[in-house]
This record gives sequence, structure tokens and C-alpha cells, in this order.
Amino acid sequence: MKVVGARLPRYDGIGHVTGRTRYVDDVRVPGMLWAKALRSPVDHAGIRVDTSAAARIRGVHAVVTHEDVPRNVYGHLEALGIPGDEPLFAEDVVRYKGQPIALVAAEDEDLAAEAVEAIRVDYDERPALFDIRKAADTDAPKVHHWGNWYPHFEGEMDRRQIRKGDVDRAFDQADVIVSGVYRPAAIEHCPIEPQTGLAVPEPDGRLTIYSVTQALYFSMGVVAAHLEWPLNKLKFVGGTVGGGFGGKVDTAADTPAALAALKSGRPVKWRWTREEELLCSSTRAPWHMEIADAVTSDGWILGRRMLTLHDSGAYARFSPYGLTKHSFHHTGAYTIPNLHFDGYVVFTNRVPTTAMRGFGVTGLSFATELHVSRIANVLGIDPFELRLKNANRIGDTSPNRIALPDPSTVPTILDIADALGHELPAEYRTMTRDRRDGELLPEHLVAQLASTEEAH
Amino acid sequence: MAVVAHSAPDLIRPGSVDELVGAFGDGSDSAVLGGGTVLVPELLHRRARVARVLLLPPGLDRVTREGGRVSIGAGVRVSELEDGDEPLATAARHLADLEVRSQATVGGNLCVRAGETPRGDLQAPLLALGATVRTVGAGGERDEPLEDFLASGAGNRVVLDVSYDDAERSTGYAAALRPHTHHYTILAVAAARRNGETRVAVTGAAPTAVRLPSVEAGGSPADALDDVHPQDDALASGWYRRRILPTLVERALSSLG
Amino acid sequence: MHLIVNGVEREVDSAPLTPLLHVLREELGITSPKAGCQQGGCGSCTVLVGGEPRRSCLLAVATCEGFEVTTVEGLGTPERLAPLQAAFHEQYGAQCGFCTPGMLMASHALLERTPSPSRRDIESALAGHLCRCTGYVKIIAAVEAAARGDVASDQREPSLADADPSEPDVLIPGSPA
Repeated sequence: MKVVGARLPRYDGIGHVTGRTRYVDDVRVPGMLWAKALRSPVDHAGIRVDTSAAARIRGVHAVVTHEDVPRNVYGHLEALGIPGDEPLFAEDVVRYKGQPIALVAAEDEDLAAEAVEAIRVDYDERPALFDIRKAADTDAPKVHHWGNWYPHFEGEMDRRQIRKGDVDRAFDQADVIVSGVYRPAAIEHCPIEPQTGLAVPEPDGRLTIYSVTQALYFSMGVVAAHLEWPLNKLKFVGGTVGGGFGGKVDTAADTPAALAALKSGRPVKWRWTREEELLCSSTRAPWHMEIADAVTSDGWILGRRMLTLHDSGAYARFSPYGLTKHSFHHTGAYTIPNLHFDGYVVFTNRVPTTAMRGFGVTGLSFATELHVSRIANVLGIDPFELRLKNANRIGDTSPNRIALPDPSTVPTILDIADALGHELPAEYRTMTRDRRDGELLPEHLVAQLASTEEAH
Repeated sequence: MAVVAHSAPDLIRPGSVDELVGAFGDGSDSAVLGGGTVLVPELLHRRARVARVLLLPPGLDRVTREGGRVSIGAGVRVSELEDGDEPLATAARHLADLEVRSQATVGGNLCVRAGETPRGDLQAPLLALGATVRTVGAGGERDEPLEDFLASGAGNRVVLDVSYDDAERSTGYAAALRPHTHHYTILAVAAARRNGETRVAVTGAAPTAVRLPSVEAGGSPADALDDVHPQDDALASGWYRRRILPTLVERALSSLG
Repeated sequence: MHLIVNGVEREVDSAPLTPLLHVLREELGITSPKAGCQQGGCGSCTVLVGGEPRRSCLLAVATCEGFEVTTVEGLGTPERLAPLQAAFHEQYGAQCGFCTPGMLMASHALLERTPSPSRRDIESALAGHLCRCTGYVKIIAAVEAAARGDVASDQREPSLADADPSEPDVLIPGSPA
């Protein structure tokens, strides 16, 4: 543990400050072609596609559609039991504006863009759904072949649920019920480096892919699955990423570039424009969260009822996993023993959402902290004292009954109080993260405690 | 390996204004390159489709004060206005960042296409200054109030210069602030008063900058909402613009004393 | 046409309306300026043209005829870093590094014209340069350090010898550490 706390230079720092760090777009390969994508200009439509005019243009070496993909529909998390639903290239329907329909590889970007314009698509537009709150309406547009929300949680449940303790009793015993609705918006990762992929056919029949992925082996698996290739036919070169923040796990550019390289026999680079990044790349999901807490007038949070709608966009991608993480943390930094949580992964006609820095949890932290402040306000209790009382401690359990070995909530809150010069009574000022006892262990918190074996 | 976009337009370097006008033709398939901050990306991303691009000839890149008029050539860089007359100077100082405004030209700023996210930050201050713009095209040279030029669109004429009276004025400028050092203008109000006559113009409430006649006639700041109907765009909603416009008008007017 | 790039005269064959960015990257193989947005909005393409910082993605190469163009490659090398480069490295002014070449060229131009910039001067010079990783604090610290001359004279590879020899507290009972 000697390097922890040490001040070490970055191993890539010299490369960065001399302009020598080699990002995917900086790689040059002889004979390289440039790619441009045809993307849906509408939110929801049946489509018929004719690429013949594009393929005939001189200097165009490949036009790739779903017909060229050995396995077009593949779910990124099929290994985790989330069935595949998303086509690499749209087949007969588009479900979000920006969905890729075809990729053209040509001698230069301008020619590729011209060829894209020559592809003929007939769009038979359909009603689109954008508001997750309306997904269950009887007249809601139908977004997804599974219905308007994900139905394949374990046991074919259509929601992620957490049940802990006895929430009805908690609500009966409460002095006050405090409710709130929280709706964080989508956030675009906006890395300064756009999605870029370079696929190079090798003489031995393998493909080398220069990738911006944050997850090299993961993306290798995704490409191999779409191509129905063994992993050892692929060589991935990566690890130098111009900002990812969770948005470069979706393997956005690699597989289409690979297919164009195979079809043309030439190296193909696909570099997204900033417009594609902002309009068509995945974002952090928007959420709709409703929280109702049963609280006592002296500031104990006895129970929580919570509903989360997670906007997955047009396909499931990673959302069931994100919502599951979200459910595990839905009490935030606080120990609430009686819980009733339901979460739904809802489909809309928007770009599929994905991970971004604290997948599933960041917007949740926003909501749980606001809600605790709201409780303090309603009860007329100091917000620091309310937090300290209910803060996670050693031996408390999370919503999904993970024993908390060493939560830093109490010292963190005390540090913040110090930094702000906020006065606290002595019994709060001396609180620690130690396992609850005495006044910090009222009867309603006993059942949720981990056994001393569990906590270590 | 050279980069040749296969559909690249021809680049023409006219030696004089007459050559420029001749090459420009009716403007339907020509574009004039000022600094390039607007046109170069539009060519690259295939939004501007023209057969030829013309550089500005020499002589259009000076600010002159003569005969009671200030004249700013189309080729003058926006950064050159930063220490000049208000409210133009404040708008110039806040345009993009120093790299972009050192390359962007006044002419280009007057000719940005209507309907995109607000650009043309210099238009409102120039309207407040009562500017006229000199152009050439079909029918020869024309000198007209800037508001007429903006209303008719630049499409088939070339801007030579923009001028206003070299006179004492009290001025004001108020813009919606955003927490970044560099941000596109969402909404801004420019005002100038001279000899009891007040001129007020707004950026970001219409496809080009426009005057606010109700406010100029002595109405209240809220009367600005009778003159313009701000719309949603990528930078801000029409709702937000409508909410803050009267406040910006009030702030700009308060500087007039 | 010809350009002088990092002190070397180069002949350019690219079409006259090609952005300088693509001439540098594709024709001349100078890849430090980046195609972050190709609209002038991010600053990752900034180079010096005639000593002035400019967006190379917005400049038609024909308008640069005969000019001196300077990129990060012309500032220094790993063996001989410019003080500004060393400062960025020491102050952790780069994380992913993609915005760094543009930040360096804009900062270099600032220090040439204003050797003792205020914080506002630095913010103004870098106003058009977006960074999604660092939050800007350490970039500004790097420019201030370079302006002060607060830069180490040698660059070493990281080693465990630099590590703090005192062990941290072991907080987790039973932890293998």
C-alpha cells in the first residue's frame, strides 16, 4: 500500500503534454477509408431501404446494412441474463432519431457523406413516446416488442423490487409522511474525443480494431458476438481514451467499422461528428422518482415507499443493470429499515441510455439528499442532526441486506459541518460510525442490523 | 496524402470589389469567405453547397472616422472593435472567445443565416447605433438601414461596410449571463440614446436582431413582448427568453440615464 | 501552397478550402491538434498562426499561405520540455489529454503576450477551451506555475521510491493490507 497517498507523475503525462499520445483518430494506416452513417431523421417509423445508388458511386468501397451482420441483434449484457433486443443496424423499424441504418466506407469523408445522401429510405412514421409517466396509458404508443417496459427481470418480473421489514407498520406508526418527486434530466457525456473506431483487416484473416472503448475485453466480446467470430480472431488496441465517463462502453463505432472493413477489404475509420455525439450518442438516463417517507417527529425515518421510472430510451442496453444498482442504494447514505421499492425500466423513442459516472446512483443521490433536507424542513429539525441520526453505520444493512463494513457517512457529515462552521450539540459532535447502540439504536432499527459475523 | 474533398468549391481571390461582384454573380451558388468561422464548418459539414467561394479583396478591412461617420469594413475582425464605441465594444468583447473573434469578421456577423441558434451578436448594437450597411449586387451599390438589410436577407448581395454617425451617445447593453466564461448569446439587449432619440434592439428573440419599437416609443420594458415572439432553440426555450427579456430591457435602459 | 510548420517549410497539396486542421493531421502527419468538434466550439484544434492562437478547424488553408504555424510538437519534446509543458505535467493539468494540445497553445500565446497573467487573464485566454475531465482548476494552476517559473528542472519516470514510506491506517478489520 506504499503508493497510496504518494504524489506520482502520470505515466501518460509526458505523452499528453508533448502531443504524442496516440488516440484512435491519430492512427494512420495505408489504404484507409472513411465512413459515414445513415441515421434515422425521425423518432419512430417503419422503414424500407435501398442502398444501390450509394454503392454505385465511384470511390465508395462498401455499404453495410443489417443484411451484412451475421448476428444483428445482440444484447450487451446477455451474459448477465438480459436478452438482446437492439439491432446493430435497423432492420424494418427505427425507434429513435439518430438510429443507425447503414454505414458507407469511401475514399474520403465528404464522398462517404455524399453516398449516405444517395441511400433511399421510405419512412412510414408512427406515434412516438417521450414521457415515461405515460408509458402505461392505454393509448400510449407502443415502443418496443416487449411492451413499454422491460419484463425480463428474474422470474420474468416486470420490475425490480425491494421489500424489507414491514413498511405498512412503519407508515402506521409515523408521525408525519413526507413526500417528494424528483426528475433528473438526461446528461450527455460530451467527451472532447468523439466516438471513433478504426478496423484493419490483417493478412491472416483477423481484424485489428483500434477502439476508444473503456472496456477492451468487453467490447471485444460484443464485436465477436455480432460477427459470430471466436475471440482470437480479433485484436483490440486501446486504453487511450479521450474521455469516456461511461459513454464509451457501448461499443458504438467498432462493430460497424469492422463490418465495413471486412466488406471492403480495406482499413475503415469511422469518426463521429460532434453533432452525432450530441444527438445520437447514449446519455445518462433521465429518471422519475417518487419518495414517501414515514418519519417520527424526533427525526427517525421509519420507512420508505419509492417508485422509480428509469428512461431506457428505445432499447434495454444496460438499463436493467443500472436500475438494479439504483435499487440497492435507494436509501442513500441513510439506514431505513422498512422498505417498499418498485423500479421500472421504461422504453421511449429516445436514444438508448447508458452508464455515466455512478451508473444508476448519481441522480438517486440527488433525490435522497434533497428528500432528507425536505424532511428536516418539514419537521423543523437541523438538517445535520437529522442526517447524523439516520446515517449509515458499521453493522447497518443496505436495502438489499448487504452488511455495511465501514461507511464514512458520519465523519463526512461532521467534516462538512466543520467546514461550514455549523454548530452542533455535543451529543452530535461526538458521533462516530461505530455500530449502533444506546440512543442510536431505537427498537425499529434492531431487526435490520447485520449479525457481527455478517458485518466482517 | 493530400486532403481533397471531392466536391470542394473553387476558391477565387478577387483583386478588387468589381472583380468580387463579377465573380459573385447572383449569389445563388457563391459564398464570400470573411474569417471563415461560420462558412468553413458549413462547407465541411455539407450545409453550404456552393460552386465557388470568394475571398474579400483588399481595402475592406479598416475602421475609418471621416466626415462625421464611423465606417467599419466587412473584413474588419470582431476583436478590433473591443475598445471602440459602445454598445458595440461590449458585444464584441463577449463574442465567443478571443481566438474566434480574432478570426471572425464584421461582414460575416451581419450575414449569418437566419433561423439558426442566435449568431450575429453585432447586429443589435449596430441597430442601436442607427447603422446603415453598404452592399453590392444586382442593381449596383446600395446603402440602406441595417434593419432593412437584415429583414431582406443577405442572400444575393455582398456586404462592403457598415457605418453610423460618429457622435456622443449614452448607451447600454445587457445580456443573459451563463456560468461559463464562453457561451453563445441567448438573449441580449443593446440601447443607445442621442438627442432624445432612443434606439433599442435585441439579439436572440427573432431570426436576426430586431428593434423594439414599443420600447423605443417610451413603453415599459414588458412592452418588448409585443414586438418579438422568442422561440425555442438548442440554447434556450422561448419561455425562458420571454421571462427575462423585460429585465434585460430594463437593465439596458437604466444605463442610458 | 506552402506553410512553415514548427520552423520547417512544407509544401501543401490539399485543396485550398481544406481546414488547416486536416492539412496538419492528414497531409502533414501532425496529429496533436484534435478534431473535437470541427466547429470551433471546443478549442482542441487550436494552433498558433503567425504566433496567434487560432482554431485550425475554422481556417481554410489557403488563408494561411506563407504563415508560420506552431503546434505542440514545436513547443518541446519529451527530452526537452518547455516550462509550460513541464508545468502541465507536474500540476496534473491533463487527464485524458485530448484537450491538452489546444490548452497548451492558447496558454503559450498568453504567456508570450502577458508574462504575469492574472487569473482572469488566464480564464479569458482559455475561455473557448473545453475540458470534460479536469474541472479546469489544475489547468489554471499549471499556467500560473509556468508563469511563476515554478517548474522542476528534470523529468523522471515514476517509481516506488517516490512513494510515501509511511503505511496508511488499516481501517478494515481483517483486511489483507
